[in-house]
Amino acid sequence: MGIVFYKEPELEAPLLIACWPGIGNIGIIAVDALRKMLGAEELGEIEPWEFFYPKKVVIRDGVLKALEFPTSKFYFKRTYKGDLLFFIGEEQPGTGAKVYAEGTKAYKMANLVIDVAAKFGCKRIYTSGAAVAPIHHTTDSRVWVVPNSESLIKEMKGYPNTVLMSDIEGRGGQGNITGLNGLLLGVAKKRGIEAACLMGEIPIYLHGFPIPYPKGSKAVLRVLEMILGVEIDMTELDAFAKRTEKEIESIYHRLPAEIREHLDKLASMTYIREAEPGPITEEDKRKILQEIDKLFKKESGED
Amino acid sequence: MRTETTVKTRAKIFSRPEIQTASLIVTWMPDAGKVGAGVAEYLNKKLGGFVFAEIEPLEFFPLDGVSVEDDIAHFPETKFYCCPQKNLMIVKSDLPRFEWYDFLVTMLDIAEEICKVKGIYVLGGMATASAHTIPRALLTVANSSQTKRLVENYDVVSNMEYETPEGQRPTINSFLLWIAQQRGIPAINLWVQVPFYLVAIEDPQAWKKALDFLDRQLELGVDFSELNDRIARQNQRIAQVRSQHPDLDNFLSRLESNLGLSTSESERLIRQMEDLLR
Repeated sequence: MGIVFYKEPELEAPLLIACWPGIGNIGIIAVDALRKMLGAEELGEIEPWEFFYPKKVVIRDGVLKALEFPTSKFYFKRTYKGDLLFFIGEEQPGTGAKVYAEGTKAYKMANLVIDVAAKFGCKRIYTSGAAVAPIHHTTDSRVWVVPNSESLIKEMKGYPNTVLMSDIEGRGGQGNITGLNGLLLGVAKKRGIEAACLMGEIPIYLHGFPIPYPKGSKAVLRVLEMILGVEIDMTELDAFAKRTEKEIESIYHRLPAEIREHLDKLASMTYIREAEPGPITEEDKRKILQEIDKLFKKESGED
Repeated sequence: MRTETTVKTRAKIFSRPEIQTASLIVTWMPDAGKVGAGVAEYLNKKLGGFVFAEIEPLEFFPLDGVSVEDDIAHFPETKFYCCPQKNLMIVKSDLPRFEWYDFLVTMLDIAEEICKVKGIYVLGGMATASAHTIPRALLTVANSSQTKRLVENYDVVSNMEYETPEGQRPTINSFLLWIAQQRGIPAINLWVQVPFYLVAIEDPQAWKKALDFLDRQLELGVDFSELNDRIARQNQRIAQVRSQHPDLDNFLSRLESNLGLSTSESERLIRQMEDLLR
């Protein structure tokens, strides 16, 4: 088990942006779009066979020609603002039917990614995922930020449209990030590297549907734009968001009117602590959130 | 591609048979028409195969209880048999649920270290819409063009074109073929057709098709008389079912004439054949 490098570039204290698929593919869409926009080059990959089952066999004229596995690839890019490393995992290594990685395989893969970060003298790591939140799909997503060190809190809070766990009512700064987008923060901390996870919000009523949520990805990209000091062209992502919005509207209108009536209220409220009272009273807000919790029989969470 | 974990930690070796450059036949349970178990058990019985090693189930099976099969509690097992006079090694194994790569690496480590295996045949049954009265086809997939040449003189379909469809995953047989390819061991997957209504029962005719190929390819000198009796008995039972159940006879006649059945007709045929033949 190991890492194969195609190139050995000289990089100066790069930032690593790493991501695996999760709810709404929010993180992976954002990170992959950034990688493509910046024209990052392939650097290497993690050998897949111990982590994944094969995904495709190709047989030609009775002979096995190829056995393909999900890829776990590294990329690099030198920019005038600083060097960047990317890691994009096509799947989370799992056992059985679980979507999110856990246990030995997850820990091994996280360590391999950190090995590459350490090899190139990486100074900070960002991962990205989704924050399942009581928001309406017509409102813009915010970005929940979870750093692995207290020293990063001030900086993270300084980026526009970001939310810390302690900003969210009723959470008391607590939560969890499932799978490798979260685990990598912990392994980085153990190995002395700063890291933060950027999670774009997805409406609570959409997280169970197998559709992407590029609106959340766009919010993550806006934060990365500030962090990296680069300008990101959102044209393609905007078009993608428009296309999925139609699909979401169609799902939304298939929901029973009674449920839709509850969900519509999300468009005019916030679950973030506010300095000034909003258009809905605190009591109203509490009731609406309770009703929505009942509807989905689970609390909001993150991936 | 070998892992650090050795055969010692994952397997029990009971004896070290004195065979070199052996051929390895790999069979799985469950398998369509019980092809894997049927072939492995018949060969072991006729060729005097004995168990010399097994892989421990802990890493590869859920072990969250036991399954009950044919009224008997079943515990997953992976047994290695040896038929020294025929220079043959047979693996009869439950299909592992987890860690396929580590499982297959352990299997090939045992095969290479103990029996210096020179060639692998991986057996599997595949459902077909044909009737049981139509001869079974044997399809082969080799892990190199040179290996493919070894089977071209036999009555096999050796020109398969296939890509895993979207939403599906390759079988463990393909994974094993690929790992053998990485190690430079010639390997062939043998897929024998099993009529869809015999998939969950047993299809000794399909066993014979695979056994006949292996017998000729590996010069095993297998005595087929017992198997021929078993095939005759099953054919007789199916003939009896046909005479007593005109609706099933009609379904089978249509399959024999290459006329398809609707989904509900196919389901009915499967269900009733399972009830009547078990």
